Amino acid sequence: MPRKLAGFLVSGAFVLASGAALGHHSFAMFDQQNLIELEGAVKEFRYSAPHAFIILDVRQEDGTTEAWILEGVSPSALTREGWSRETISPGDQVKIKVAPLRSGAPGGWWTIDKVNFRDGRPVPGNP
Amino acid sequence: MLYRCSAAAVALAAVILAAAVAQAHDETKYPDLRGQWSRGKGGAQWDQSKPGGLRQEVPLTPEYRAIYEANIKAEFAGGEAYNPQAICMPSGMPRMMIAYEPLEIIVTAEVTYVRVDHMSEFRRIYTDGRGWPDKIEPTFAGYSIGKWIDANGDGRYDVLEVETRAVRGPHAYDHNGIPFHKDNQVVFKERIYIDKADPDILRDEITSIDNALTRPWTVTRTYYRDRNASWYEHICVEDNHHVIIGKESYFLSPDGLLMPTRKDQPPPDLKFFNQARK
Repeated sequence: MPRKLAGFLVSGAFVLASGAALGHHSFAMFDQQNLIELEGAVKEFRYSAPHAFIILDVRQEDGTTEAWILEGVSPSALTREGWSRETISPGDQVKIKVAPLRSGAPGGWWTIDKVNFRDGRPVPGNP
Repeated sequence: MLYRCSAAAVALAAVILAAAVAQAHDETKYPDLRGQWSRGKGGAQWDQSKPGGLRQEVPLTPEYRAIYEANIKAEFAGGEAYNPQAICMPSGMPRMMIAYEPLEIIVTAEVTYVRVDHMSEFRRIYTDGRGWPDKIEPTFAGYSIGKWIDANGDGRYDVLEVETRAVRGPHAYDHNGIPFHKDNQVVFKERIYIDKADPDILRDEITSIDNALTRPWTVTRTYYRDRNASWYEHICVEDNHHVIIGKESYFLSPDGLLMPTRKDQPPPDLKFFNQARK
């Protein structure tokens, strides 16, 4: 086995990525070790299989917004944590830490414990 | 006279029918598997007792270990072409028994059904004493024949032994892409039973016998019962944003446009499109 591949396969970074998946596909396309914080208004909350999505209009420095597509767990998993399709609504102002797409494209992965409403409302499942 | 004969015939028929129904399925002989069975918290790696990736310690042949390592490398680079489930292909056996979403087990005298919320998959385990057909059309779930065993001799069945053949690909054990041999001749043997110490824990000892392995590989999956759970629909294609074109994985933007999943990823080949129209 090439030394570079051997080193990669046993590195902590790889181990973290391959063991972190909770679902039917890997999440290695998202950089889970370098989270970024996004802030903006919810454009859409898609409570649908296989994964719920938050579409977030993220404020840019020049005052414009960029739509980010953020993938979460399945609606059934969210429901078991007390969520519903009404937990987040279009227009809600949120702060959310996400694992961004490694490509740099405006997409990422979120978990319940990384979501916060700017108005301080509690988020189900987020202590 | 005719009336008395008819009445007797009806009565006899009723007795025979009642006896047949009673013999068909005596629920008291089978374990109570009702409710919702979930895999609990933790990762979705195949062997729950070990971390994911190479630390699963899969007894693969050198050829298939190389394939596995290549799959992991592709995964870490953001690609999932080795994982058809990312684009809503069925898990199939044995992966459906990971229970990404909960399972439901329905026992009848002739068949035990395993219904899987995830991808709406479905397994039939025939327990009617049939033999193996000469020819079986391969399916993702495979063809399963089972036998109920009274392992502890108390007059009730407590173990379901199952053998599954004719499983088709493409498939992998889990999201890391632990591979099967390309000959698609894998056989699974299972022992499914309720934990002796806790009636709300179910165990499935699954042994994979495959030419990609150096020896049979046994993994025990564990499920936890919720007797009052709600069931949710899981239609994978409803809003899946993962796209695989050839060996490349992409992610769909909110507007349905392709986004790259790794740096410097090339776009798909558009040779069949009139690219002069811009």
